[in-house]
Amino acid sequence: MTQEELNALEIAKSVDARGTACPGPLLEAKKAIGTINSGDIMEIMSADEGTKKDIPKWANKKGHEYLGTVEESGFFKIYMKKK
Amino acid sequence: MEENKKMCMALFSGSLDKLTGAGVVISGAAADDMDVEVFILLQAARSFKKEIGDNYEKLPMSENLDLKEDFIASLKQLNVSTWVEFFEMAKELTNVKIHVCSLAGKMWGGEKIDDFIDLVDDICGIGEYIDAAAEADIHLFI
Repeated sequence: MTQEELNALEIAKSVDARGTACPGPLLEAKKAIGTINSGDIMEIMSADEGTKKDIPKWANKKGHEYLGTVEESGFFKIYMKKK
Repeated sequence: MEENKKMCMALFSGSLDKLTGAGVVISGAAADDMDVEVFILLQAARSFKKEIGDNYEKLPMSENLDLKEDFIASLKQLNVSTWVEFFEMAKELTNVKIHVCSLAGKMWGGEKIDDFIDLVDDICGIGEYIDAAAEADIHLFI
């Protein structure tokens, strides 16, 4: 997906994990995924470099769909669709 | 359904730095839906006593002893959860069992489960640890 498409997604849940270091964002994502429905899209905001690889890997391993990452100034947004 | 992977951790160290590291590792395993069994051995049992837990002042460092204050300041600055909070989060996310070795407990005056922080599930003997280690996909000694 392009950055524009990612930014235009309809988000069921946004997780702002910018205040935590690894493994905080991953744990917050894991908790939040349980609160949304199958097919819903979740956004995770983080400024932690390790998270940038961890969450897409985790999402795919768990059968969810990693949609892409958008870079912002000083943080990034990861998009995934729940299986 | 596919069976969850298993992690077995022997937690020997009761130091602030190693407990924090153990908490991060267990959290990662929990995010991955692993079943985790943690065995609290000798030194670690002291830190699991109710009167210690995440009271940083009462916890030693395993390395760089003179940098304890800097270490704590960094944890706070980066908004890192305490080791007890990591263990709690992991328990919320997946099947994490915390066993205190009976010998270790006794060494620090902990004979009953109530002598320890709420994270502890039971008091066990070494046989249970060996069985869990034999079955685990990942085995760590910290």
